[in-house]
Amino acid sequence: MNGIHDMGGMQGMGEIGYEENAPMFHADWEIRVQALHAASGSFRGGPLRPTVEQIPAAEYLRMSYYERWLTALIERLVQAGVVTREEIEQSRAARALEQTIAPVTPENAADWLLRTPQTERQTQVAARFAIDDRVRGRNIHPAGHTRMPRYTRLRTGNVERDRGVFALPDSEGDEPRLQHVYLVRFAARELWGETAHARDSVRIDMWEDYLEPA
Amino acid sequence: MDESDAGSVDRRGFIKGAAAGALAAGSPGVLHAQDHQDMPSDPALRVKALESVLVEKGLVESAALDVLVDTFENRVGPRNGAQVVARAWVDPAYKQRLLDDGTAAMAEFGFSGWQGEKLTVVENTPTVHNVIVCTLCSCYPWPLLGLAPTWYKSDAYRARTVVDPRGVLRELGLQVSDEIEVRVWDSNAASRYLVLPERPEGTDSLSEEQLAALVSRDAMIGVAKVESTVDGDAP
Repeated sequence: MNGIHDMGGMQGMGEIGYEENAPMFHADWEIRVQALHAASGSFRGGPLRPTVEQIPAAEYLRMSYYERWLTALIERLVQAGVVTREEIEQSRAARALEQTIAPVTPENAADWLLRTPQTERQTQVAARFAIDDRVRGRNIHPAGHTRMPRYTRLRTGNVERDRGVFALPDSEGDEPRLQHVYLVRFAARELWGETAHARDSVRIDMWEDYLEPA
Repeated sequence: MDESDAGSVDRRGFIKGAAAGALAAGSPGVLHAQDHQDMPSDPALRVKALESVLVEKGLVESAALDVLVDTFENRVGPRNGAQVVARAWVDPAYKQRLLDDGTAAMAEFGFSGWQGEKLTVVENTPTVHNVIVCTLCSCYPWPLLGLAPTWYKSDAYRARTVVDPRGVLRELGLQVSDEIEVRVWDSNAASRYLVLPERPEGTDSLSEEQLAALVSRDAMIGVAKVESTVDGDAP
């Protein structure tokens, strides 16, 4: 979706707030959000990122990073029927869960976090593009989650690598659509015009559906 | 951040729900516009409430969350990345393996985990400087760098790095000369990226361990260079 989260190329977003040797988090509750996010994989009923992206723009901009994830996590758990808003308000469970879900325990928590996921599919799928092909970002505006930043639309680049076969994130919730992901190089001037540096470029991995032959 | 666990997402009816959650975060004036807007506005209290409810329902154990926090703080992080970089500097065969398949090469150190699939290591050279960003969110190579610092996830860094990388780098204290090509890597899909910084001059006598101590997280994101401390080391 053309949401506020799709920020690449925007200006006027304030300060970066760079700190050398910045800490990983600034308050204990922040890493607790991270831990709850990690621990909720088996019962939140799907990835959180699409939910973060649905936070209304004005709210999204006002929230800190971990507030966004906390808001999305609660939202997802409410949608999944795991908790209710009243329960969070009261800080107390009002009713037991109908189905039993194996809890994350101290014994298995870290193992799960330290296991490298396997999202690449071994399925054989024909590749539409080859290395060095000229490709153009399609003029598409999906209403839901997508990994195609708007700055790549209608811009021409070169395929540098074939990353293999992955499920298209736009199709989450439907039958997964398996297709190749390509590393595409866009010249900075193609994206940003004459004032960009002639030598510079942006590289980004793109699902096949985001591209057309140029 | 990203998740590798695929699952179905029902988006229907969400907008209202998201707005409610967002409003519960504390917008003045609209907080009580609907029912159930009384969630604690302080995120610290909301996290605590959420944890209590999930623990009571038997979905998580607080001790398990402690283990996760400890894992994030102590078992993943830039010290892992620094070891990988130092090895690549002293061992050309390892460096080649790292550039060919980052995930397999980091596994030689026992490093693995969430956000570690398809790790792509990009090499800085005298003519190429690489910098990593995630414009859509916060994708970051957790096994080697841990959780991303706040500035990496800031709206401004995400927005500006693709359109004005040299300006961003300058602002962060790194001047890149006109002769050097700047490559921006927008990590949004399955791959995560790590910059292999240039080994600083005057470090021939250092051990792999001493070299690793020089490598900063920011150099592996590509917003800093690795500096030899030979000159500025003495008190």
